[in-house]
Amino acid sequence: MGRLNVDAAALVRDTIYRSTILLDRQDWNEWLAHCDDQFQYAIRSWSPEINKDVTYLALDRQGLASMVKLLPKHNTDHSPLTRHTSVYTVDVDEAAHSAKAVSSVIVYQNLLDGINSHIDAGESRLFLVGKYLDAFKIENNKAKFVSREVRIENRRLDKGSHWPI
Amino acid sequence: MAAKNHRQWLAEPALKPNEWVDSRIYSDPQIFEEELEKIFKKAWIPVCHESELPNAYDFRTMSIAGEPIIVCRGPDNEVRAFLNVCPHRGMIIERRASGSFLEGQPSGNPKRMTCMFHAWQYDLRGNCVYISREKEGYQERLRKEDVGLRRLRCEVKFGGFVWVNLDDNPQASLEDWAGPAFTCLRKTLDAEPLEVFHYHKAIVNANYKLWHDTNCEFYHDFMHYHNRVTGFNDAYFARKNEAFQHGHVVVGTFEVKYENYEGFESRAALSFPHLPPNQWYMIDMFPGMNFNLRGSALRCDIVTPLAPDKVMIEFRGLGLKRDTVEERQTRVNHHNSIWGPFGRNLHEDLLGVQGQGTTMKPGSEPRRILHGRHENQTIHDENGMRHYYQEWGRWMNRQPNNPDLPYAEPMPVAAE
Repeated sequence: MGRLNVDAAALVRDTIYRSTILLDRQDWNEWLAHCDDQFQYAIRSWSPEINKDVTYLALDRQGLASMVKLLPKHNTDHSPLTRHTSVYTVDVDEAAHSAKAVSSVIVYQNLLDGINSHIDAGESRLFLVGKYLDAFKIENNKAKFVSREVRIENRRLDKGSHWPI
Repeated sequence: MAAKNHRQWLAEPALKPNEWVDSRIYSDPQIFEEELEKIFKKAWIPVCHESELPNAYDFRTMSIAGEPIIVCRGPDNEVRAFLNVCPHRGMIIERRASGSFLEGQPSGNPKRMTCMFHAWQYDLRGNCVYISREKEGYQERLRKEDVGLRRLRCEVKFGGFVWVNLDDNPQASLEDWAGPAFTCLRKTLDAEPLEVFHYHKAIVNANYKLWHDTNCEFYHDFMHYHNRVTGFNDAYFARKNEAFQHGHVVVGTFEVKYENYEGFESRAALSFPHLPPNQWYMIDMFPGMNFNLRGSALRCDIVTPLAPDKVMIEFRGLGLKRDTVEERQTRVNHHNSIWGPFGRNLHEDLLGVQGQGTTMKPGSEPRRILHGRHENQTIHDENGMRHYYQEWGRWMNRQPNNPDLPYAEPMPVAAE
């Protein structure tokens, strides 16, 4: 495996930002297209209440694909989520054609039908605060997600969500 | 008759008086305050699990009916509970959710509970062991031996849950209170130590009893695609709701076909001890706590009422303490796929109860909430809710279907 001849860090940043837009659009399958077949996804937090790391969701690519496929069969809160992502660091391993990135992510919920739409619809609330801990493989001038850990600060999650964050 | 005019809408339903309740019991501020005093300050409440304080000097804090509580494990390994209130000036003693008193604090010494405000210190039995400048300020009028923390009734039971009662003289021992309802799972939960692996909380704008009702009635499985495809079969519809003394209800078990939901798998390999594979038991405890065992993972909901139309629900998931890393991860995934904050069912349940809360705010027009389904006390029968509200009426001395009237026992009904 030779050294990379692309700006891998720029590729990684671009992929994270484009994925943010795809997730905001609920374009789940297009987002999964940026994920490797071996992709692993998890939402985790540290709970000082029980003094443990807690996993709130953990799925592989196939599990995510099944989950998003079945979304129309579920009742859900359709209030759109808007992610504000800032890529903090990208560390490229040129020899291994891989990279790791740490991004800040803040998720707002724009209320639509979750509570009483007459009163609440149109209001934006802070939903989640955390970081994306991403790993990529760099291949054919593309950065593909190998893993994403959404590391959230929240343990108060109220109604929660059916959607990937 | 189709849609109703106002008079028709407010008319009593053609059901027996115990088959519906007045929505004011979910929204009236005076009834809510009364519930805290008459029910929550007198009932046994599970507040946490012993695995949350595994070592001597570990502590957890919580509250019941607005009263701050601290639970700690003493050097003798006993778990004790106290009001988390300093008898000096009423300061909350420990502000953290959990921790260890083996560490010293800025105001105090290791192995002591220290009130940071004026440095009064207590041992893990609740004795006051230090008053700063005691003699200078109180001379002989008040000594540390004269003060101490308010101790609370506390027991570790039924799978290692820590139960607290604010009443020094509860109407029933914990064994009598919960033992019969836990019979179906006692051998399983007490077979070996359990451990909490999941915690999150929700604060939703709904009365706490509505969350109890959601856990208690399974007719709402029509809301859950997951439960329809993994459950709706003859064995599911034969599940019995069994009423127990003190308002508790147990929902009997059947074998869930998890593999019928795309992407899910059988939980048989990680079944809790002494259970056939993929069973699903539920114990609904008065006044609103819930123990829910789906084969490989135990869930416990603890409700803390905050207002007539606001409740905090703490969700815990538990597995076996001896789990390997791989077993634990699988158990966590089984738990989260349905019951996690991003799982398939919990979000739907919370949308349901939030939707009820939206229509039952303080000041909303009183209306009738129906609990009148009779299906031979099986899964879609609402005998569990009727049983619960009978108990509620007794504790409150109010009629659930007309809370302005004192409680009267319903006439016996053969089907009940």
